Amino acid sequence: MTREETTAKIIAILSDDFEFENPGPTDNLRDDHGFDSIDAIELLGKIEQTILGFSLTREEKERAMTIRTIDDIVNYIEAIRLAHNTP
Amino acid sequence: MKRRVVITACSAITPIGYDKATILDNLRNGRSGIRPLRDDGLLSQRIHSQVFGTVDYPIDFQFKRHFRKTMGPVAFYACQVAGDVLARSGLSQEFISSGRLGVAFGSTHGSPTVQRDIYRTFFQELDSKFSTIGSVDYLRSMVHTTAVNITRMFGITGRVIASSTACTTSSQSIGFGYEMIKYGMQDAMLCGGADEYDTTTVAVFDNLLACSVNYNQTPQRTPRPFDRDRDGLVVGEGGAAVLLEEYESAKRRGAEILAEIVGFSCNNNGGDMILPNLDGITTTLRLALEDAALPAEAVDFVSAHATATKMGDVIEAQAIAAVYGDRPHVSGMKSYLGHTMGTCGAIELILAIYMMEQGFLAPTLNLDNVDERCRMLRHTPGVIDSDAAIAAIQNFAFGGVNTCLLVKSGKRV
Repeated sequence: MTREETTAKIIAILSDDFEFENPGPTDNLRDDHGFDSIDAIELLGKIEQTILGFSLTREEKERAMTIRTIDDIVNYIEAIRLAHNTP
Repeated sequence: MKRRVVITACSAITPIGYDKATILDNLRNGRSGIRPLRDDGLLSQRIHSQVFGTVDYPIDFQFKRHFRKTMGPVAFYACQVAGDVLARSGLSQEFISSGRLGVAFGSTHGSPTVQRDIYRTFFQELDSKFSTIGSVDYLRSMVHTTAVNITRMFGITGRVIASSTACTTSSQSIGFGYEMIKYGMQDAMLCGGADEYDTTTVAVFDNLLACSVNYNQTPQRTPRPFDRDRDGLVVGEGGAAVLLEEYESAKRRGAEILAEIVGFSCNNNGGDMILPNLDGITTTLRLALEDAALPAEAVDFVSAHATATKMGDVIEAQAIAAVYGDRPHVSGMKSYLGHTMGTCGAIELILAIYMMEQGFLAPTLNLDNVDERCRMLRHTPGVIDSDAAIAAIQNFAFGGVNTCLLVKSGKRV
């Protein structure tokens, strides 16, 4: 999955499941869309199921709590893939 | 400090309707909200009682995901009626978030639908879903989910009371809310209860031989409170809320006064968890009169708990007779609704307010042949004109909890 494809998938999830209106890659998730810690946990579940195909460790999940933008999410997914050596 | 407490807004989602006009029309025309039990793919096929007090009409819930994510079905009902009540009250957002408005709201056990999904995950060892348990699912299913979804959605910052005492959940909520205002702890309280469609509750009562089973083919003929041929309760669903305010401030701001709560009592039988207790119930009724400083003769209408169980109705009839004699009209509103569990007290209070405002009383539905042991009461003989000024709303719960709310018609405040 290319970076563009991952970005498109995340934007689709945030639009369809989280009802974001016009999400952009540099939007602040919390300030611009009311994204909170509960949403972060739910989003990680969706990333596991629909993008990664494997479960994240607790440590990996805790690292996700510093994410602020959609770009950050994509960076996070790419780093996880690299660490797990998956495409 | 003792202050007067009035009801300035109300809303109820019930098996006989949501808007006031529909509810009144169904009461006037003796229409029941009991329907066949729906197939839930789990318990429904194993339950002997195949009837349910059902909310079978669409409700246009308009909650954004930001709020929906922490709400199970029970919180949808709760937030819907809470939103109605706040909108109808005309209270400013400044007051709503001032800390002087509290919430007393509950349900029998949070959201059983969500709890069921959690157990399914455990029992089916669905590892991929395990990670979702503990955050959102807890918030959606926890026992105080209705109260705190309301505070979150409407920005309420006052006290929270999340009563969860089965059939007295919402009557306790209203009573405790009344006391909060009466004794000056809060200036207004949003009170009520909700319970969602749930076959677990039916199964529990079914196992205790307390559910109606003889009218599965004719759901609208059951429950039959005080009737010779009653055979048990019918579980139901719904949500109801009332806004309580301190009388002087409500009057000052020109709020419509629907009713005044003039007395409340709550006690416990101190013994058996299930069997009704004549001493406990009789004491409750007397304590409410004491709280209101009213003689028994002041009560014109008794909205009986009257679940249509074999023993419960007889014990309640004895208690009513002992306290009130045969003066007040008595009706059991569960004959229209089924037993809406955690929300029954609030719904039954609202029905009493509606009827007193409209100047009529509805009878107990399906009361064709009064049980010999319940004959000493003055059963409402049909839809009758009435200028009832004070109604008693009685509710009793598993665990031996009893409540009685005494309410004065808004026309007499």
